[in-house]
Amino acid sequence: MAERPDTLARVIDALKRPVRMDPRVDERVMAAVDALPPYSARRAAGGAVLAWLRRPRTIRVSPLGALAAAAVLAGIVVAGTRVTSLLHEPEPFAGGPAASLQLVQFVFVAPEAASVALAGDFNDWDASATPLARQQGDGVWWVSVPLSPGRYRYSFVVDGGIWRGDPLAPRAEDEFGRPNSVVTIGGS
Amino acid sequence: MREEPDGHLVRRVLAGERRAYARLVERYRDRLGRYALRMLGNVADAEDALQDTFIRGYRSLARCDPDRFGRWVFGILVNRCRTYGAERARRQAVLVSDDGAIAGAAVFPSDDRNAWHEAIEWALRRLPPEQREAFLLKHVEELSYDEMQQLTGTRISALKMRVFRAREALRELLEETVRG
Repeated sequence: MAERPDTLARVIDALKRPVRMDPRVDERVMAAVDALPPYSARRAAGGAVLAWLRRPRTIRVSPLGALAAAAVLAGIVVAGTRVTSLLHEPEPFAGGPAASLQLVQFVFVAPEAASVALAGDFNDWDASATPLARQQGDGVWWVSVPLSPGRYRYSFVVDGGIWRGDPLAPRAEDEFGRPNSVVTIGGS
Repeated sequence: MREEPDGHLVRRVLAGERRAYARLVERYRDRLGRYALRMLGNVADAEDALQDTFIRGYRSLARCDPDRFGRWVFGILVNRCRTYGAERARRQAVLVSDDGAIAGAAVFPSDDRNAWHEAIEWALRRLPPEQREAFLLKHVEELSYDEMQQLTGTRISALKMRVFRAREALRELLEETVRG
């Protein structure tokens, strides 16, 4: 049976029609926002510290880090460095209080890549938020991220658009086809 | 009077003016709400996802390129809708599209505007979440496949297949609605 040629176009037009959400959504959002500290020079300083912590660098704080590089495999290393003295406020997506933040090192081997980034639950899967730095000469990419105790899914994003799981980490469910790996940070 | 650009408002928030964030929420509430509603299928879940998105957006605003707030906060919403959809699927039985269900699709009179819209919503609900997401991002949000890949982390070839299957399923489900 023949379909009208414009059926799908009519469907799309209908789905594009504007919706009017309840304006009380705004009130509820702002009530939650008002309960959070405002951005300020002090919080900006804390943000600068977080940015410094996340700045791609080579950190040899664990023998596992060197082992991962030598094995030419990606991996994740928990450095165990406490960072509470450097922060004013907890990481926005931390699973616990600032007092239990741990510096977690993510490693990915991609000699042919032009860029590698980290996306996960801790940065709202923003592929531009957490770039890795390339260790000179050997195709190993690193970044350190402060995380509170909890379970986090993450992926590596190669060259801006190719998502890769961590071959050394447990896999997570993702019915949308995105390769997810899981890291669990224990509490203190 | 020209609207204050997103970048200006974001910078004001980052300078300590929390109330400026209310302007951004108002500006994007309905647009993001449309995607959440189409994706999740009911107002309560859509409102929850929307509120969660905006609150997360405020908390991580320092990471946002101020001049790309709209696309950035939309990315947060897409991920929140995935999480909400997965949680709901675990809580209740999920209808799975099959030939029998498609063949038994109800007929709605095509000259009844509300019934037509309800039929579309019903058909959309019958798509697997990944097909619904791909269809909405491509045809309603009008993203390119490159943008969809960067947003979702899914290969372009897989996205194209999902959009194709969604289009075929919607045609088949709604064929009875538009015929005669």
